[in-house]
Amino acid sequence: MGSYRHLIVERRGPVGWLVNDRPDQLNAMNARMRDEFADAWRELDADPEVRVIVHAGNGRAFQTGVDVAEIAGDGVGMERYRQSMEDFDLHFTAWHQQVAKPVITAVNGICAGGGFHWVADADIVICAADAQFFDPHVSIGQVVSVEAIGLMRKMPVEAVMRLAFVGRHERMGAARAYELGMVSEVVDPPERLRERAQELGETIARNSPAAMAATKRALWGALEVGLTEACRRGAHELVSLWGHPDQTEGPAAFAERREPRWQP
Amino acid sequence: MTGYSSFVTLDVHREGNVGWLVFDRPDQGNAMDAVMLAELETAWRELDADPAVRVIVTTGNGPAFQTGLDVAQLAADPAALREQSRRTRRAELRLTAWHNQVWKPVIAAVNGVCAGGGLHFVADADVVIAAADATFLDPHVSVGQVTAYEAIALVRTSPMEPIVRMALVGRHERITAERARQLGILSEVVDPPGRLRERARELAATIARNSPAAMAATKRALWGALEVGLTEACRRGARELVGLWGHPDQAEGPAAWAERREPQWVATGT
Repeated sequence: MGSYRHLIVERRGPVGWLVNDRPDQLNAMNARMRDEFADAWRELDADPEVRVIVHAGNGRAFQTGVDVAEIAGDGVGMERYRQSMEDFDLHFTAWHQQVAKPVITAVNGICAGGGFHWVADADIVICAADAQFFDPHVSIGQVVSVEAIGLMRKMPVEAVMRLAFVGRHERMGAARAYELGMVSEVVDPPERLRERAQELGETIARNSPAAMAATKRALWGALEVGLTEACRRGAHELVSLWGHPDQTEGPAAFAERREPRWQP
Repeated sequence: MTGYSSFVTLDVHREGNVGWLVFDRPDQGNAMDAVMLAELETAWRELDADPAVRVIVTTGNGPAFQTGLDVAQLAADPAALREQSRRTRRAELRLTAWHNQVWKPVIAAVNGVCAGGGLHFVADADVVIAAADATFLDPHVSVGQVTAYEAIALVRTSPMEPIVRMALVGRHERITAERARQLGILSEVVDPPGRLRERARELAATIARNSPAAMAATKRALWGALEVGLTEACRRGARELVGLWGHPDQAEGPAAWAERREPQWVATGT
């Protein structure tokens, strides 16, 4: 842990930052970056100083999926990923890594193809006003699957299918992504994106970490089953926090008009 | 496959690599009578089997897109009514591309009113566009009928409150094309309305540039994802993804991109 070539992992106050850092390859994910994601999510999730995680990209793209140059160049191709994909044993998003903390994805510029993994698997998504979303998979003979399946649970499905079937021949802008609820905020001017992500991260960091973790488990878990069963499991998460110190500290701090002191 | 059956209630034809399935009972609001119910199944099968067809567009002739079952006609045809009732009871409908397991991309181009059972064709399409004067309503409960299939599919794919409102308000209110676009029920409103077919043709031609095999696997993965929980859906989707590895399109796509030419995809269909 801690030694990254294609990611930047750092802390600013209570906010942990995970920044894609292969700008010359539009932050495409090669095998090493894929492994680094697994470590970076675990490192930030384990750090008690970090309350919220922001995921962003350096350069003119947020993320553009698998590094096609690497796939095409070394004779191994996608085969290197066959076993992990057949077993659905992936480790490059916060959801894959079962990160307990809130995750904000801040989309700068282009988000294409596999880049949607980190839109689908984040809790909150904001984007720069010049962000562009498209999925070129079927235009180069590839199947759209896991990332779109995640998105379909979270936004109107027709829009996800249109992105999937139109391929590289059309792009969705930030305004439409906002209208559809794929993102909750468009930052204009685009240069303010990081600043705004940090602010939002600090705002969320004021809330109870334990309550947010249980909430996150309840809401994501609800995507796994039918409505009544989801409510049943959600109720279990809810009750599990009863008796936790944050449950008395929260109302006390509110009554005393001070910031709460949460359990780490 | 060179020709299609001759249809009475549908206009089924191919233009280039786009297949058209056009409801053609304009004087009855394109409502589905016994003949159309039978012809729909045949039409989907033939369009799906034609390897020259890459994308399918459904639309309607006349002022309506689709207005559901032609109850008056079916009442006069007891055998047909019985068969449709049996299929409804057993969830064996054969009206839409989804019912008929068509794995080519389907665009619904809604040209006017889409009412009741007509919503099947919106719910079960991959991409939906509409003329600016198109409207959506579900009159079932206003005539003592239950809404089920169409609304169930739509609540999986769209914000739920507007769908339930449409189902419970019945014939007394309509959703406009623009509101449907805002809600993500459809992705594009065509204005002037007279340009709808031209725009559907363009969009279909665009989609037809993509790999048929990759689109078929994508369609199976995404529609299959509506059947199970998220993790299981991802697991099944991952299998569809890996299932195409080794297919010629997977090498042809990147090669064509590198050589800046249109890819030569393997045709699908039989």
